[in-house]
Amino acid sequence: MGLPVWRQLRTELHPRGLEIVTVALDLEVDAARSWIERSGAEHPQLVDTAHKLDELLGIVNVPTALWIDESGTIVRPPHTAAVERYDFSKLKVPEGLPDDLDAHIRDMLEQVKRIPRFDADHYVEALRDWVEHGASSEYALTPDEVVDRSGPRLRAVAEAEAEFDLGQFLHHAGYVEDARPHFRAAHRLQPENWTYKRNAWELVSPGIQGPTDFYDGDWLADIKAAGPENYYESPDF
Amino acid sequence: MILQSLDVTPEELERKTGWELKPEGLCKDDRCVSLPAKARTDGRLDVTVVADRLGMPLVHDERHGVWALGPESADHVLASAQLPPIVLQDVDGRPFDLASLRGEKVLIAAWASW
Repeated sequence: MGLPVWRQLRTELHPRGLEIVTVALDLEVDAARSWIERSGAEHPQLVDTAHKLDELLGIVNVPTALWIDESGTIVRPPHTAAVERYDFSKLKVPEGLPDDLDAHIRDMLEQVKRIPRFDADHYVEALRDWVEHGASSEYALTPDEVVDRSGPRLRAVAEAEAEFDLGQFLHHAGYVEDARPHFRAAHRLQPENWTYKRNAWELVSPGIQGPTDFYDGDWLADIKAAGPENYYESPDF
Repeated sequence: MILQSLDVTPEELERKTGWELKPEGLCKDDRCVSLPAKARTDGRLDVTVVADRLGMPLVHDERHGVWALGPESADHVLASAQLPPIVLQDVDGRPFDLASLRGEKVLIAAWASW
């Protein structure tokens, strides 16, 4: 989840003028609550149950970060925020699972191992450099570069956002089943948005996000279709 | 933006979408789009006309009688490098305005429990 790392970075960099704000892209506040309460963080910890950040900033996966200067100008648009170090050699399938589940999870782990990892140390060095040097840091982009780097909002993406909005509204109003067709439409319209997909899958297939009657895709099928190498966009630092 | 009916006050539209009603039409950043007279009745705006003029999708849930108006299509999701107005809540429902952090450098980190 990255929360311990953000807490650590905030302890180091807050005295030098950086505030960190973590935002959980969780439909259910309670799904994020225990992580937030256990984090011990002193920075603002927010929840975006409607996924406003997807629409306003173009976020499609997590972890994603952006940097904003003292005047409220974005100097790094949303990018994959590689701050955690992983050791996948230690990933193991739990013992004693039924055969089909065991095979499914094995298959998932094979895909996970093929997701690219980015250099966490380099990312943190870049962040420290910007905190120290501000606009003269080589990692701070100009406003034109920031706008250029943000991709287009196509009609289909705008529609996906409207469908997800309807879905989250109905879900929160208690119409959990009636929300699903709208989530499904959002998935079809913007298949590259993993936050829309994984949030909806998690509600009907917790932990595995496997195939169900409610959605056309699932984590394993979709990551195979997209290619695990494309799961995260390179942060390009 | 979620709608329970297909008309909206200009104030509501501006608060939710950033498009402001001016004499020349609806304006956001440095763009203005003219609005036909039929779009305004008794101080309210016809959302179907607004959606059409601004290129916004309007999707409907028939059973519950609600609509969602999506954002306009654009060459860039970020029309400018200025952080748009964003107010979110903490786990206890207390609102937090990201603009309150002006004067500090800020890193926003999106994560999820799933």
